[in-house]
Amino acid sequence: MHDALHTSLGQLTLVAAGYAALVAVVALVVTVRRVPRPTWLDHMVWILELLLVVRAVAGVGSMLNGQRPEEMSAHVGYLVAAVCVLPIAMQSIAEDRGTWSSGVVTVAALAVAVVAVRLQMTWGHGA
Amino acid sequence: MPDTAPRSGPHKVLLTFYALFTLAAGARAAVQLATDAGRAPIAYTLSAVAAVTYAAGWVAIRRASVGHTGFASVMLWVELAGVLTVGTLSLVQGDWFPDASVWSDYGIGYGFVPAVLPIAGLVWLRRQKQQQPERARAER
Repeated sequence: MHDALHTSLGQLTLVAAGYAALVAVVALVVTVRRVPRPTWLDHMVWILELLLVVRAVAGVGSMLNGQRPEEMSAHVGYLVAAVCVLPIAMQSIAEDRGTWSSGVVTVAALAVAVVAVRLQMTWGHGA
Repeated sequence: MPDTAPRSGPHKVLLTFYALFTLAAGARAAVQLATDAGRAPIAYTLSAVAAVTYAAGWVAIRRASVGHTGFASVMLWVELAGVLTVGTLSLVQGDWFPDASVWSDYGIGYGFVPAVLPIAGLVWLRRQKQQQPERARAER
């Protein structure tokens, strides 16, 4: 993962992974405090989604420029998952602002963090 | 609370986990079976079985959240048995698993979430069943 810092794509992936982890921690704190899901948590999720879309576009751009990930099919799978997970999760709690809806955000953000790390791993060759 | 209201509750978190694991196990099995099935056919097939189990678990929990607990009572035990069986097989019959399956070593590759998930589901289901008679009385 250390090599990831040498390319802008790798840096973007690490920022997305770090921010996803942050969103997961914040959402967990909100869940544990047993308050209704605050609007600013939704905003954090959509900022994360924006980062992921930018990362996906940059990733597709790199691939169109002839760079090939080491594990092609797995990498593309993670790329699709990275942008799809949050909108689907938010859809499932669209009309539910209860305590447990923040738990859904926690799980989805954690999944995105893992997916971002796996994106980096499947890209391979020092990214 | 009327039945039509969107129900909040811990099952929403369980459903998120089940959806994610259906996707993760299903995509993993599909990629591995399509690209390199011969390397570890048993492990990859068991990953596909895990994916089907998670999809069924998702349906079961959704049904249980509106009061139909029957399917979940069966499905969550099937899932727990699956994790324990495959986890144990991967430890004692290592040669069947040249590559890991989703439930290998009780789901170590997924932070042991596969082992915890059916237990969390069964605890939730137990509470769900306890609340059931109360709700039935309240609606009368």
